Amino acid sequence: MSFFSIKTDRSKYPQGGEDGKLQIDLDSHKYVKIWQGPNHPGVTGNMSVELTLAGDEVVEAKTHVGYLHRGFEKLLERRLFIQGMQTSIRMCVAEPDSNEYVFCSCVEELAGIEIPEMAKWIRALILEMARLQSLLRAVPGQGGTFGLGVGVQWGIYMRELVLDRFEELTGGRIYHMFMTPGGVRGPLPTGFKKRMEETLKEIDGFIVNIDNLMFNNAVFKKRAVDVGVIDPSWVDKYGIVGPTARSLGFNRDVRKNYPYLIYDQLDFEPYTTTYSDIYNRTRVRWHDLITTVDLIRQILAKMPEKGDFKAETPNVLHWRIPKGETYVRSESSRGEYGMYMVTDGSEKPRRVNLRGPSYNNGIAVLEDLLVGANIADVGAIMVSLQVCPPEIER
Amino acid sequence: MSLKDILMPFKAWGNVFKEPVTLKDVKREGAPRYRGFHKNDVATCIGCGTCEAICENEAIVMVPVEGIETKNGDSGLRPMVDYGRCCWCGLCVDVCTTNSLSLSNEYIWTTNDPEEFRFIPGVVDKPWNNSEKGWTKPGPNFSYYGKERVPMPELKPDERDKSFIEIVRGYSKEQAMKEADRCVECGICVATCPAHMGIPEYIKAIRNDDLNEGLRILYDTNPLPEICGRICTHKCETVCSVGHQGDPLSIRWLKRYIADQQPAENYKKILETEKITKNGKRIAIVGSGPSGLSAAHYLAQMGYECVVFEKLPKPGGMMRYGIPEYRLPYDALDKDIDYIKSLGVEIRCNVTIGKDITLEELHSQYDAIFVGTGLHLGRSTRIPGTDHPNVYQAVDLLRDVTMGKDIPATESIVVIGGGNVAMDITRTLARIQNQRYGKVNIITTSLESEKEMPADHEEIIEAREERATIIPGWGPVRIEIENNKIKGLHVVKCTSVFDENRRFNPKFDESQTNFFAGDMIVESIGQGMDISYLSESIKENLKFNERGRILVNEYFQSSLEWLFVGGDIIQGPDVIHGIANGHKAANGIDKFLSEKA
Amino acid sequence: MKSLIDKLGKTFDIKDIVYQRPNLAFVTVSKEHVLNLITNLLDYEGFSHFVLLSCVDWIEDNAFQLTYFLNNPTLKIDIAVRCFIDRNNPTMTSAHHLWKQIATYQRELKEMYGIDFPGSPGVDENFVLEGWDNIPPMRREFDTKKYAEETFFPRPRNKTNDPKEYMKSKMYPND
Repeated sequence: MSFFSIKTDRSKYPQGGEDGKLQIDLDSHKYVKIWQGPNHPGVTGNMSVELTLAGDEVVEAKTHVGYLHRGFEKLLERRLFIQGMQTSIRMCVAEPDSNEYVFCSCVEELAGIEIPEMAKWIRALILEMARLQSLLRAVPGQGGTFGLGVGVQWGIYMRELVLDRFEELTGGRIYHMFMTPGGVRGPLPTGFKKRMEETLKEIDGFIVNIDNLMFNNAVFKKRAVDVGVIDPSWVDKYGIVGPTARSLGFNRDVRKNYPYLIYDQLDFEPYTTTYSDIYNRTRVRWHDLITTVDLIRQILAKMPEKGDFKAETPNVLHWRIPKGETYVRSESSRGEYGMYMVTDGSEKPRRVNLRGPSYNNGIAVLEDLLVGANIADVGAIMVSLQVCPPEIER
Repeated sequence: MSLKDILMPFKAWGNVFKEPVTLKDVKREGAPRYRGFHKNDVATCIGCGTCEAICENEAIVMVPVEGIETKNGDSGLRPMVDYGRCCWCGLCVDVCTTNSLSLSNEYIWTTNDPEEFRFIPGVVDKPWNNSEKGWTKPGPNFSYYGKERVPMPELKPDERDKSFIEIVRGYSKEQAMKEADRCVECGICVATCPAHMGIPEYIKAIRNDDLNEGLRILYDTNPLPEICGRICTHKCETVCSVGHQGDPLSIRWLKRYIADQQPAENYKKILETEKITKNGKRIAIVGSGPSGLSAAHYLAQMGYECVVFEKLPKPGGMMRYGIPEYRLPYDALDKDIDYIKSLGVEIRCNVTIGKDITLEELHSQYDAIFVGTGLHLGRSTRIPGTDHPNVYQAVDLLRDVTMGKDIPATESIVVIGGGNVAMDITRTLARIQNQRYGKVNIITTSLESEKEMPADHEEIIEAREERATIIPGWGPVRIEIENNKIKGLHVVKCTSVFDENRRFNPKFDESQTNFFAGDMIVESIGQGMDISYLSESIKENLKFNERGRILVNEYFQSSLEWLFVGGDIIQGPDVIHGIANGHKAANGIDKFLSEKA
Repeated sequence: MKSLIDKLGKTFDIKDIVYQRPNLAFVTVSKEHVLNLITNLLDYEGFSHFVLLSCVDWIEDNAFQLTYFLNNPTLKIDIAVRCFIDRNNPTMTSAHHLWKQIATYQRELKEMYGIDFPGSPGVDENFVLEGWDNIPPMRREFDTKKYAEETFFPRPRNKTNDPKEYMKSKMYPND
């Protein structure tokens, strides 16, 4: 199946000059500059890639962000700790709950608050549901970049079902704002477990359908296999995490390696492959879907029936946290998602810095991975790295 | 690549025969917890503005609403939400002090006019105003601030019932910080405080551990913080917004904490009163109670030379001669008074106006006079038998205790009255009985039922802890006297004290009677003023209101422009009104004298 | 973790060691030694995963704090290396040769804090702020709200009333 992988003779292109940069003379009529995005269907969100093409092959790629910079990290420096939760979640639309969790967790760690057992389970449940809804868009979305829209439509429908459950549990569909420094803002609603199980059953069927539609699909395979191959040495060099690292054989899963909340009480094994092309990266995510569905079932079965869901906090209107700094990480659907928080003893954080997987994936990795790729695969490669631009610009 | 890979995707065609999942024109209801448009129960809401304080988007503004009156405990403001700013996080609901604010599960409503997306929930008529569903505060115990008061360390009943040492020990730093942390800084309490003290500000100073600033804030409006921190009637605590869903803040104890922590010798430095430029004008103040001292303090601060005339041997008025030592120890009292003295205020004790010096004489020597002589005459029930020598007035007995006189406490005593003075005399006599006879036998009865009793509730509880018997709801009829000795008090059941206009008009059920045995009766049903020191010529020129009180303007200036009157004889009776009167009168005197000059 | 820090302490002048969690330590070294230390951690101690490069503005101390987060995926421990640089002349040696993504972090810090990393690829290019004409926005003295109000045209917030002041005006205006 290697007939589609093109081996290009790179010697015909200009080599790097003295400073190592490519010498591209656009006036030579050998090259074309194309801007993919910021509003291109193959671009996940508002980001653009400046491509320099020779024929249909990319010789240079440059990521441009800045289309939705909202300065959230700056805003968080001007918010009370209780208000930060609502601002922090907006740093990533696709999976806001990881923001919520790392923010609250940072605050709790620096303030020395231990959250109740029940809150830990509900938080884990929310994080897994968030991963589920994120993957329900991301996995079929990979097919979407090749024009396979059917899976996307199914996925969106399934995602809506999960959002219905979110609405029931948290009162919100996209932004849940359900975690709060000290715990969560409510217990499980009555009958929630039953309705969640019904949703999971639907998703079980969807997972099988997607397997048939995408992973046993000749067209998908032709477009995805051996395209956008990442070398294992890149993992450390570029700081690759999460599913992308796992597709390279590195078992990097924060839930497993640095268990937080109640993940040490759950039974799961992150899926890994050893060869990272678009196909395998998507396959890893598809396996993550299965793992996530299983984890939600485990959480619902193992979580306590009753219990406090919020620890006592000082009065949030003038909550001061002593000087300190910490870094808390969690595993989002895209990989290690961390927050660095510095407090200075005042009512507001001194610095909040988000470490999202897209930051590396969307710029350093993407720019190098696109070199040599076919123009038609640019969108697919980007989606396979699951780049979420809001999280780069914050 | 295999044949399977070509065929498998065609399985998707199986979906052709499925029901479409799209819903058409269906009005889908939000989940029961959905966070939609706001609802507000405007009758419960007190307009404390905590929702506004927590809103990170400044989506909530507090606006006046027609028909909602600004009164004690209710600012008359209600939250208006700007839905162009709201992010529906619902923190306003979770933090609401009265639980009046909630969210509905309505999310479909829309309109063409952007202005309509700014409205006052609960006031503007919306279809979801009465909807049951939507986000409410999660659980009764869910709270973003401490609901329970930090308990005050107190002496146990058996440690205190024989002596007059102070019961309340005061907060430690840690306790005070924790209690101060509960404040939501709404400021509703300030209007209710007669002196309008900067309550949220000094509580904030405690949180910041900046007690110097705290003391400065206290002295802005109240020159007797040690005293008020102990015996203030704390009307502020009755309106505290935190008290709606939990215990109100211990505002009084926090005030005491600030004053307690500062040694007296630091006061002048902290309050920046080491150097006061005198303006050469002289003011005479009659009476060294709270109003007189307060007036003297603020006048002295402005540079006036003040002389206070006191009839009794020591300054303090009712604070010294009315309030028992176990509630207000004399050293705390002296700390506040000594500071006022250190500002250059001269206090001349044992001087009776009208006898040793007349008001006219004072008028000729001083530029203005402030009179705050208080209520020191005990009122009698005038029931048959009250002329017996073993029937006493509570204020007289309390004064004698302070003066160190021998108190005629017998083995069984009946006290008539339900106010704080009645509790003071009850507990004082109980202590004396305990010291003398080793047991307590005292019955206190009041017209009012237990709920209506004007005494502070904790006073009643503590009196009972000290083994006094409190029997509310009985009206005294006559005193049983046999062989010239008191046997006890006959009472009838009192069914109501006030009529529908809240006027004093007690009703009795004559069929229910009772008898409280005792060989000594103490009356404590209120006090009257003694203004016999006013000469006839002054009285002629003074105007009185229909209740017999001297008529004063907002600066407590009487119709004789050089004579200012304040304290219990005008308003009250309590300490904090006296302080407020004195402060206002000081400002009035300053205004009067500077306008005259 | 502790033995590792002790070992490093023999070679480097490490100050202010804080064990935030059993697997996360914060250390401070001088500006000159940061690169040596993180190179050492990468080459000899297995800290192969670079997590984050961040900056904290301590405006009152006239210093920027740079924090390099390194992770050892085998031992599952993190070290955060802090250094303080002069706020008036914020320059730092570039570390882009150690990990690829550091160039992006440094480009962002140049833009957001004005910290220069000479030699870092593309460090002078705009990152997210195209055509920015103000001081670097993440610096503490930059007032976001003021800037937004001056630059854009927000719909003004309705007039609000402070309950305390409002009650004063209604109930005791003359006191």
